[in-house]
Amino acid sequence: MTGSELLVQRFLDQELSGEERVQLLVRLGRDEALRQRLIDLEQLVLDVSRLPRPLLPDGFVARVMEQTAAPATPAWHRLADALWAPRALEWNLAGAVAVACLALLVVGGMVARGLPWQGAPPPDGGVSTSAAATAPPTPVLVRLVVVQPGARTVQAAGDFNGWNPTRTPLEQMSSGAWTVTIPLEPGRYEYMFVVDGRQWIADPFAAEQNDDGFGSRNAVLEVRPPMGASL
Amino acid sequence: MLISRHARSILSVTTRMLGPTADAEDVAQDTFVAAYKALSSFQFDAKFSSWLYRIAVNKCKDALRARRPGTVSLDATDEEGAAVWEAADEETPHWELEQVELAWELDKGIQALPHLYRESFVLKHIEGLGYDEMSAILGVHRDTLKMRVYKARTLLCQSLAHLDRAHR
Repeated sequence: MTGSELLVQRFLDQELSGEERVQLLVRLGRDEALRQRLIDLEQLVLDVSRLPRPLLPDGFVARVMEQTAAPATPAWHRLADALWAPRALEWNLAGAVAVACLALLVVGGMVARGLPWQGAPPPDGGVSTSAAATAPPTPVLVRLVVVQPGARTVQAAGDFNGWNPTRTPLEQMSSGAWTVTIPLEPGRYEYMFVVDGRQWIADPFAAEQNDDGFGSRNAVLEVRPPMGASL
Repeated sequence: MLISRHARSILSVTTRMLGPTADAEDVAQDTFVAAYKALSSFQFDAKFSSWLYRIAVNKCKDALRARRPGTVSLDATDEEGAAVWEAADEETPHWELEQVELAWELDKGIQALPHLYRESFVLKHIEGLGYDEMSAILGVHRDTLKMRVYKARTLLCQSLAHLDRAHR
């Protein structure tokens, strides 16, 4: 590559120093062929930038989705996958202590009231990542908890808020645990947590998880009707 | 949602690499299917679009390797290809006609470029990527990419030389 060609290349890539620009201008003043060549190359870049983008054919996204649809797997298989899937959970001592305290609160409250483990309203202040009925009839108040000590923000996104990652912020507890209490009608909800607005994670404490169709798993929340009520 | 967001960019790359044929659409679809299957290997600190581009470029290379000489006719895409592109707007019909002709000639020129020059040129000037991102996608040093893009520009200028008086 000649010196002039190198200057032209660097000009097109907008990498010329001030000194090199002067050098190029001097050469362009003397060399008409070089000038025309530079004009042609610049025109080419301009023409290419105006090229229309192809239209997306009808049904393109649907066809991709069809090909990526996972075959139905038996429930026991999904449960086995959930049990054996490797998980990375970031934690520190403060977070672990916080979770232990929360667990003690739940267990202690249940024991104090002598309530059964299943299908009963939890004690006041009870904390659980599964459904916990704290008020009569619908809606049921459900508390979501996740430990993310290093996070700046944590949001919940799921079936209950249209998967909007900005609508349900969790509040940080001093321990690094994040929590939010939301009213939900009895039913089945899938959800994920969104950490710092970009990292989507499944609830590690969820009793059940489902494939989300994109290679990740959603936590599943089963909200049961309060005792004595029906769906 | 991810598919919708990136579909046109990926289709743009596959179409420029393979021509406006059914191949290009198939390869674009294959790109998303492959991405879905490999999603667990995606490093979230990397740029998702760069990762998709890399898959698309590799798929295009596979498709080009699979093509036997003589199976692709650039002229065959003239009619069907024209229907695929968005029409130019906000200008007179005469200007549109010239632009369509110019776009067609440009496409032919791009698809006639050697593969290595073509992929670099498409990522640089069609997709507007910087050399650092291109280097990450193609696994080629940025100086090498600059040279390939320059060569591609030069070859395209030569192939479009006959249009200079008519269009500019």
